[in-house]
Amino acid sequence: MEIRSVSYHLLGGIQETNLSNLPENYFLKYYLYHEACWPELSFVAVDTETGAVVGYVLAKLDEASEKEEQRIGHITSLSVNRSHRRMGVAHRLMAQSEKAMQEVYRAGAISLHVRVSNKAALHLYEESLKFTHDRTEVKYYADGEDAFCMKKVLPIPMD
Amino acid sequence: MAPLPNSKDQTLFRSVLSFYENKQYKKGLKTAEQILRRNPKHGETLAMKGLIINCLGRTDEAFTIVKDALKLDMKSHVCWHVYGLLWRSVKNFGEAIKAYKFALKLEPDSANILRDLALLQAQMRDWNGYVESRRLMLGQKPNLRMNWTGLAVALHMSGNYEEAEGILTKYEESLKVQPPKDDLEHAEALLYKNMIIAESGQTERALEHLLSIEGRMLDVSSTLEYKASYLLKLGRNEEACEVYRTLLGRNGDNRAYYKGLEEAKGIKEDDVAARKKLYEGLAEVHPFADAPRRVPLDFLSGDEYREAAEKYIIRLIKKGAPSAFLSIKAVYKDTSKQAITLKVVEDFLAETRANPPADDASEADKTRHTENIVWALYFIALHYDYYRTRNLDLAFKTIDEAIELDPTLPELYMSKAKMYKHAGDLKKAAETMNTARELEKSDRYLNTKCSKYTLRADDNEGGLKLMSLFTRNEAAGGTLGDLLEMQCIWYLTEDGEAYMRKNMLGLALKRFSQVHKIFEDWHEDQFDFHSFSLRKGQIRSYVAMLRWEDQLRHHVFFRRAAIDACKVYTLLADQPHLGHASLSMGQLAEDFEKLSTAEKKKAMKKAKREQQKEEEKRKEEAAKRKDEANGKADDKVVDTDPKGEELVHTTTPLEDALKFLNPLVEFNPEFVEVQAIAFEVQIRRKKYALALKALVAGHKLAPNDGRVHEQLIRFRKIVDSLPSEPTDAEPLSDVLIAEFNALLPKDTNVVEYNQQYLEKEATNFINLRYGLQAKFFLNPEKKDEAAAELVKAVDLEECDIKEAVEGLKVLREWKASDEVLNKYKEAGRGRWPQATAFQA
Repeated sequence: MEIRSVSYHLLGGIQETNLSNLPENYFLKYYLYHEACWPELSFVAVDTETGAVVGYVLAKLDEASEKEEQRIGHITSLSVNRSHRRMGVAHRLMAQSEKAMQEVYRAGAISLHVRVSNKAALHLYEESLKFTHDRTEVKYYADGEDAFCMKKVLPIPMD
Repeated sequence: MAPLPNSKDQTLFRSVLSFYENKQYKKGLKTAEQILRRNPKHGETLAMKGLIINCLGRTDEAFTIVKDALKLDMKSHVCWHVYGLLWRSVKNFGEAIKAYKFALKLEPDSANILRDLALLQAQMRDWNGYVESRRLMLGQKPNLRMNWTGLAVALHMSGNYEEAEGILTKYEESLKVQPPKDDLEHAEALLYKNMIIAESGQTERALEHLLSIEGRMLDVSSTLEYKASYLLKLGRNEEACEVYRTLLGRNGDNRAYYKGLEEAKGIKEDDVAARKKLYEGLAEVHPFADAPRRVPLDFLSGDEYREAAEKYIIRLIKKGAPSAFLSIKAVYKDTSKQAITLKVVEDFLAETRANPPADDASEADKTRHTENIVWALYFIALHYDYYRTRNLDLAFKTIDEAIELDPTLPELYMSKAKMYKHAGDLKKAAETMNTARELEKSDRYLNTKCSKYTLRADDNEGGLKLMSLFTRNEAAGGTLGDLLEMQCIWYLTEDGEAYMRKNMLGLALKRFSQVHKIFEDWHEDQFDFHSFSLRKGQIRSYVAMLRWEDQLRHHVFFRRAAIDACKVYTLLADQPHLGHASLSMGQLAEDFEKLSTAEKKKAMKKAKREQQKEEEKRKEEAAKRKDEANGKADDKVVDTDPKGEELVHTTTPLEDALKFLNPLVEFNPEFVEVQAIAFEVQIRRKKYALALKALVAGHKLAPNDGRVHEQLIRFRKIVDSLPSEPTDAEPLSDVLIAEFNALLPKDTNVVEYNQQYLEKEATNFINLRYGLQAKFFLNPEKKDEAAAELVKAVDLEECDIKEAVEGLKVLREWKASDEVLNKYKEAGRGRWPQATAFQA
């Protein structure tokens, strides 16, 4: 298993991984849009032998904050195949994305949404990645479930 | 251009334009008609009416109107521009470009027309045309940076590196003040220029330039990666080492950095001692990275391997990482490592079992103890399920032991399902996967696997029902509609393949065509980025997108669906009755085979009559649905052929196959299975030159491949029997014939040639099977002999279940007797007692 920056030829595999793991899905153009706008922010975990995608983090810059004093990074989607759990893959992917947000975009914070019922993801974000619960967005998901908005302040990078 | 005579109408015309731009089509149409009542011969208004009607989904009508408009006002750039837009909307970009060029000749200063033309040229990769358009755009607005970068991209893509670089430099020099340090667009433009210099082959200068801009680069990773690769290319290895170490410090999980470091250090691949030392050092520096622990397992052996493997595997087992076996199985290529690996885990298991926690140990300790045993058993079960070390009895026994200890762990059932698959019992496999799914119903990964296994067991309805648990079923078209919209290619392909196995070829073709359509959409997706990316300033990423799009159909998703579709079309060409559901499904196909020629003809006629009736009914229904849809606000195009009946009832299956075959061959020539299917399609089209081209390519890729061998023999026979006088078939040139003669000389005794092949490949089931197919082809009367040899071959060690099932299909194609089929199945049962395919 290895972690690399996303390239276009992996987007099909990322889309497939997303469709296999999560109920929030997107057509490929939305992945293209991420890669065209913020190519530095998204990362992928691939099986070294087969080249197959086993996990990914799809990230962007919060468009509303782009012209603001403080830019905010946003995680659009993160998932790791069940077959590759407990290897710290999600943690590694997030660490790469966070660093790029700071370096390239001088982002001061990072945000994401998570289903209130998704205990495993909540644990990852709160315990191991040190996100805090910002607020709850009622009926954020298509099926009517609420989302927790999570936030994390990023330290200002040293030059 | 003929202006409208009265100023009120002129105002109205302007509002038509703005209605159109704001997508208020109904209002726009009404206003245009208002003008036309007073000025029925006003071409530009008529053109706008046509354009709006096109937006309302009435394309044919729109074309008629706009052509009328052009006749009224040939000298109007508006009419020509609109005509181009219509062609653009039906994706005929060639015609659209022509129309835009006319429009531009009439109105050279129109920025809108020029922009539309340029976008299409980029989409069509008309780089020379694009350069010209970009020059004009830069001339119109030289104050915009994106117009400079746009021209640079055009030049870069057309291969003119020097001028591309020059244009970027010229813009830089025009800047009076240096942009602030966090100006990403500027940093990106500089790095893009660096990329151009490097691609022009001037590595030395690229490095020099990179060092001069390094300080203000925001994309630090790319900058360092470029630098490392330049240094390595220039042989400045020590400096390269340093950069690779910096990169590893930033991402210790990127294998390319390790490879780069090894190369920079000049360590040879077979220098095990040096590599071991390097990775031991790296493991210390990167305590959490996987690579420094995993990579050495590839090159170490014996005791050194055992020691390293133990550390690596046991750590993963203790963590309960399901991927422990997955991460290591690649080393099994080296057979000596198979037993060592197994022993490592067995020792761990024995030791754990021998040291149970004390009675008063904490619950957590007790649980951990059980978990260690379960994950160790899981590893061993996977070891016995893996094809290089397969022993399914032991695999089942071990996984059952684990399940007994923890009946709630989905992974255990998932692996057991896979074992059933390998044993050939696809139904049990699907059921067992469902047990896994039911343990954690909220996990979509389990649901996905379960649906896939259900499809593999040929249960299309069941597979879809499972998918529906996680799709938006209220979307148009229900579950399938959502899967299509979300471009769920794996599902479409598996669903199509299941239909293919069931001889439901219409639905199979439907699914493969849907995959084909998704790739068309992916190709179309880039369109918006031709302008968007330049505005955003992410030029390197845009260039990467263009290059990826150019190779889009090199994707394994496309390859698989396209090969499948071509197979279906060759089947339809060989056995037209398969196109009729009433003659092709399951038992029906066998019944049909038993009919006499006259009866077959009669049955086909009847099926065709039924088909015609059904088609009429379908068309009626489709028209009705379309009317209903038209009434609604969002008039999406209605699928008039949801079951693929139109596709399967084609009278030209081989010509239809080209839609898949041409891009398949163009973008995937390095796959022998691609060349093989190309041969099958072209030989049936009697395009002998193209068939030979595929055969030669296939032979070059895999000279010993059974498919190639069988096709060589078939082609020899065809060439030899070609009449000397010209036919409607394409003639084979002497050059081609000479090329073929080099592969299989003209005076070869093919029967003997084939016999030699059979002897040489006596232990290789696949090649043997193709050889036997050739034998049957050469002497159909030796069917029984060939069949007997195939039955014997099932016992070969190299024969796996998938291939064995294929063998059964071959016997059926030969119309082997029930007695022979039973013998074959018996042999299959002997090896795979649970396999459904071999049950009596």
